[in-house]
Amino acid sequence: MRIEYHPSGIYLPDSNLWMDSREPVEVNWISHAHSDHARGGHQRTYSSVKTLRFLQLRDAEAQNAPQNATVLADREWFDLGNGTRIQPVPCAHIIGARQLLVESGGERLCYTGDIKLKASLLGSATEIVPCDHLIIESTFGLPIYSFLSAQEAASRIVDFAAKCLRKQEIPVFLGYGLGRGQEIVHVLTNAGIPVAVHGAIGKLIPAHEVSGYAFPGWEPYNPNKLSGKALVVVPGFKEVLEGLDIAIRIAYVSGWAMLDHSRARTGAEELIPYSDHGDFSELLEIVDRSGAKKVDVVHGYTEPFANILRQKGIDARAARVESFAEEDT
Amino acid sequence: MDEFALTCERIAATGSHLEKIAILAEYFSQLDDENLTRAIRFLTGNPVASAPREQTLFGFEDPPKLAIGHATLRRALQLATGWDLETLRQCQRAVGDTGETVGHLLRDRSKGENLPLCLAEDLLFQLLAERQPTRRESLLVEAFKRHRPLALKYLVKSLSGNFRIGLLSKMVEEAVALSTASPIADLRAANNLAGDLAKTAIAARKGQLSQIEVRLFHPMDFMLAKPLPDPLPDTVLKTLSAGSWLVEDKYDGIRVQVHIENGLVEIYTRGFERVTSTFPELVHAFGSMTGAAILDGEILAWQGDRSLPFTVLQQRLARKKVNRSMMESNPVVFVSYDILYRDGRLLLDCPLEERRSCLEQALSRTKIRIAPQSRLQDVTTLEMLFGHARANGNEGLILKQSGSSYETAKRSGSWLKIKKVFATLDVVVTAAEQGHGKRASMLSDYTFAVLDGNQYLNIGKAYSGLTDTEIRDLTKLLKSIVIGRYGNRVLQVVPSVVLEVGFDGIQRSLRHKSGFALRFPRILRWRTDKAPKDCDTLDRVRDLYESTLNLTANRNIDKE
Repeated sequence: MRIEYHPSGIYLPDSNLWMDSREPVEVNWISHAHSDHARGGHQRTYSSVKTLRFLQLRDAEAQNAPQNATVLADREWFDLGNGTRIQPVPCAHIIGARQLLVESGGERLCYTGDIKLKASLLGSATEIVPCDHLIIESTFGLPIYSFLSAQEAASRIVDFAAKCLRKQEIPVFLGYGLGRGQEIVHVLTNAGIPVAVHGAIGKLIPAHEVSGYAFPGWEPYNPNKLSGKALVVVPGFKEVLEGLDIAIRIAYVSGWAMLDHSRARTGAEELIPYSDHGDFSELLEIVDRSGAKKVDVVHGYTEPFANILRQKGIDARAARVESFAEEDT
Repeated sequence: MDEFALTCERIAATGSHLEKIAILAEYFSQLDDENLTRAIRFLTGNPVASAPREQTLFGFEDPPKLAIGHATLRRALQLATGWDLETLRQCQRAVGDTGETVGHLLRDRSKGENLPLCLAEDLLFQLLAERQPTRRESLLVEAFKRHRPLALKYLVKSLSGNFRIGLLSKMVEEAVALSTASPIADLRAANNLAGDLAKTAIAARKGQLSQIEVRLFHPMDFMLAKPLPDPLPDTVLKTLSAGSWLVEDKYDGIRVQVHIENGLVEIYTRGFERVTSTFPELVHAFGSMTGAAILDGEILAWQGDRSLPFTVLQQRLARKKVNRSMMESNPVVFVSYDILYRDGRLLLDCPLEERRSCLEQALSRTKIRIAPQSRLQDVTTLEMLFGHARANGNEGLILKQSGSSYETAKRSGSWLKIKKVFATLDVVVTAAEQGHGKRASMLSDYTFAVLDGNQYLNIGKAYSGLTDTEIRDLTKLLKSIVIGRYGNRVLQVVPSVVLEVGFDGIQRSLRHKSGFALRFPRILRWRTDKAPKDCDTLDRVRDLYESTLNLTANRNIDKE
């Protein structure tokens, strides 16, 4: 199967199918709702039902809701009508994230999108599908990266919040608007800790509740009512909080929190290395269990990760595309 | 090392200085004397300080230093983990710290044996004694496989002495004071005399701080001058008029401390670096001095009766060992202006005038120069005195308060310096480089250029002066305008960011395309209000350069 890597996305010319294209195209698959993967303006869009819900929420504001969106059911083939059929496969990353299995000319290709193997706090577990050709991300594709499990991360998050509150300090968690932010709010509220949530994170909580996750008793951020609460805010909001006359302690929950120098970058004291991307050993395991003979690596440490795979006897290459914006910050 | 490492991790995980000190003090108080000594030596980047060192005919041997290169560490890591060198290089680059990389890569690979501090020290002694690289590697590999990753992270960090946990050396002193219930001022003073915090800590434990005696041949703290704003505000002028002040020229050389005893001479810089072998003629000049002394002063490039530009001195500094022709082409002198110790007597608390006469006496039978000093009669003469100082090739003026003691704790205000920015330029950033340590994830070093016709010609590089927030914003902006890459770290960018830089001088240089280089360039402001076409031109740079030539023309020192 021919694959083209363009700065705007991945293209399968034999099937006339784009994956995560950032430019308007004829037919596009959206793996998940993070904005660097999901852009509007295509003539036809395929995605999971939950991804579509996020996009409609987000784009209703921008008045740019996806046109001609088709929702594909998990583990069911959908025929594109040109000798290609596609099938979404459950994937741990954020709610709604799916891998895409593409079958064409007797060959099976799997595009992971963003993926982790260990269970996430919110969303599906990853199912690994046997394939001939795998396109996998490598945001954390170096052996230095090894993350906490969801349970370990949850107890670190709760412990940190409780410790700060005991000392009359305000614990602040930095997490981006879709995914990490809600995971943290979910963990804290279910541990009975009062939480104030930044608007960008809060507005997507109802869409998570629809999926069956509880967020009991969270409140929107209000600068006049902060004491005794944990704050969950987007990273850019840190400067605003530092401008207030309150004692805050920042925790950074991210894959990048693996590295000590992330403290300097984020101003965090507590580092909780947990991500909705797989760590190094998870990525290796996904490659291994897929049985793919050919592997293309996109995003992040593409060259070093492909190099490591080649040493294991896999026909791997780094896809040379302009990297998508770094979202895990 | 395991407890030590856990303590360091806890220190890193709080931004509060007081908490850092409290954590360290608590750890210190759990250690016996021997382990306290070891822990302090590890923390102060001197883990093998207690290895034997010899006094030779020409002075002391260099203190033992464990020079384990990146290459040795990487090969040991390769052997211990099985990762190829390219992967290791990528990991090292992502992490930005060798110890931390070691810790990450050895996760789940070691046997998890304890590494007591005495064993860690012993391992370092073995590495120190081992000259053969392959044997050193196997010592490291063995340790890598045996002990816990966290202990190894800090063992490797202690080789460079750079822990990157936000712990300043003065905070280690405070932790010692806290854990031994000693007043911090007493502890600092004692440590300044002993030059050995571990020894000082043990004395503090026994309540014997006052018994610590001055020991020569370790650099003591320097007294620093507080910079005065330019032009001098009225409040400062008032303070100066009200008090009694002595004036000296501020020299443009290298500030050093010279220790002399029984014919032995050592010279230390403000960075506490020993530079004795770079200046053999100075060692010789002190030969005629009797008794013991610690002198404070400045090394200057010198010819006839005046000092030469700093560049001449710089060429000397580039050499560890100098030959005769270098000594002739780039002659240096030491100009002394203070004395801290004389024949068993510590002079730090003596008034300035008393130290001065002691200095004059000590040097009476030598040819060592003493900085001319005069009493400030009237603040209105400062402008004229400044002009004289500049005409003599010096940087500015230094004012010393009459009767003041030699205060090393902070810039006390008893010494004041008047120094003017030579000029400022608006320049355009053409390339940016990843920083180190705390700034490893940011673009914090900038190469900048001036305009010549319609092209930008590089003239220098600077990495200080902006706030962390500004650097973060600038990093974001610069990353969006990258047009190329030199090597691994340097990004070439579209010339669009304008910075105002101040500097102390200008000289010809082959390093930059403009043909000029700036001395001590520092970023004063990010000029968001200016477009690149508004930046300064090469013509202006040329004019500035010529103006300095005129100033020094009659000195015939420009060797262009």
